[in-house]
Amino acid sequence: METRQSPGMKLYVIVWLGLLLIVGVEVVLTYAHLPVGTLLASLLLLAGLEAALGLLYFMHLRYERPSLFWSLVPALLVVLVLMDHFWPDALRLMHQRLPPP
Amino acid sequence: MTMAGHPAAPGEGSPYGIPSRKLAIWLFIVADAATFGAMLFAYGYLRVANPDWTRPFAFWPTIANGIVMTAVLLTSSLTMVGAVIAAQSGRKAASLRWLAVTMLLGGVFAVLHLREWAAMIDEGWRLFRNPMGGSPLFGATFFGITGLHLLHVISGVVVIGVIANGFRRGRFGAGHVETTGLYWHFVDLVWMFVFPLIYLMNVR
Repeated sequence: METRQSPGMKLYVIVWLGLLLIVGVEVVLTYAHLPVGTLLASLLLLAGLEAALGLLYFMHLRYERPSLFWSLVPALLVVLVLMDHFWPDALRLMHQRLPPP
Repeated sequence: MTMAGHPAAPGEGSPYGIPSRKLAIWLFIVADAATFGAMLFAYGYLRVANPDWTRPFAFWPTIANGIVMTAVLLTSSLTMVGAVIAAQSGRKAASLRWLAVTMLLGGVFAVLHLREWAAMIDEGWRLFRNPMGGSPLFGATFFGITGLHLLHVISGVVVIGVIANGFRRGRFGAGHVETTGLYWHFVDLVWMFVFPLIYLMNVR
């Protein structure tokens, strides 16, 4: 079975430090009093970046055949996008809220 | 030999150049990611649709505890990488040490998580009870999602122990350590979404 050569431990330590740094940025943003939508978008973007680093380096996807990535990741993303059908109903309910008494 | 009794065609290999068990764990990971995705979407739906969603978490102790838990889990991914590299280069003793540290860190994460749960339960939080008077669904989504993740962590610690024992005895090889590592990294990766969405989005 062929798998491309993996890098040494040094690169993984750098990725680990990067992930810790991203967590720190997430916490700082949380207490920066951003609007909820902006905070959510920022946190999702940073979580996606962490996931990409984890997949590509810790889970070694970068060093496997590209066919493995293209068989797995787009299919999962399609499933997650399909789940977005529910948002209009959640937003409808949010706009139906009665004003506080 | 194939199931029909015919030998595999000469030169026929895995379409992805990886062993079957590695492909199997990747397929499991994709399915499990969709499961967590569905739970996080359900949480998002409830959070948006509920007029009195509770945001109960203070920096101390909950968010501070969450930061430590995140750092512990990320570090356990690094030690797992160490175990895989050592196993693949034939350094069995080093690999076993890294695996032991990974298990220890997984155990620390589980203890910190259970301690946090115990404190919340002491405050009156239940699956369908909110002591702060808001939507009772906060407890359902919080305990449901973090509970499923905790189950993955505890299962992972047990599986690492079983694989490490087999690896020590020569029953399992470096490939098994690598496959276990993929699962462990996935558990870490899920937490990268649970921490910001469940904890940070619910600070007071």
